[in-house]
Amino acid sequence: MERENSNKKLLTSVSCHFQRLKAAIHYTVGRLCQQAAADHEREFSRQAIAALAEITFRQCDIFATDLEAFARHAKRQTVTADDVKLLARRSAALSNYIQQKSEELAQNNQEQKERRKKNAAKRKTKSSTENEADMAMEP
Amino acid sequence: MAGAGPETIFKKETVSKVLTLFFKDDKTKASNDAVSLMAEMLKIFVIEAAQRAMKQAENEDSLGVDLEHVEKVLPQLLLDF
Repeated sequence: MERENSNKKLLTSVSCHFQRLKAAIHYTVGRLCQQAAADHEREFSRQAIAALAEITFRQCDIFATDLEAFARHAKRQTVTADDVKLLARRSAALSNYIQQKSEELAQNNQEQKERRKKNAAKRKTKSSTENEADMAMEP
Repeated sequence: MAGAGPETIFKKETVSKVLTLFFKDDKTKASNDAVSLMAEMLKIFVIEAAQRAMKQAENEDSLGVDLEHVEKVLPQLLLDF
């Protein structure tokens, strides 16, 4: 009985999670549609936006399944940017765009890493000079 | 109204959760870069769908974009992604 209850609780929490993710996607899809429509002086009906949100959610399922298969094919447990590039291979324009974005991301990461390294080095020298100062203070 | 802020994009957290929800294997994870790229890709998907639906509505000389317009562009959209 208790187990059944906990199972039910688990089930509701999973479906709640599901609904919330769907709502999050619906919200972003709605915003994107409104922006696109504002540029062309048109308006999306609520059903159209709901349909687009549902399509996007199901497309996520397809994307995720593909990504997982690609990662597994490369004998990895983690989906990487390369897998996403492979996912976008079918359309040349999309593929180029994703490639470009990926390079931007890599560059950003590199810069951040360098900045962090620099900061760490600075901190090190600072603390060492402080130490020296402390040493100097001590007779 | 929308468009006031910077560009709309899917939250990385949302994308990450959706992806892990759909992974068949619990052990599969998504890297940070992969999630960012997927957010970008989903944005393109939605914008492309919206543009095509609007084009369809324009061809039918209708001001509002309705469900039927989305339905008409759906097959080709899914073939292109």
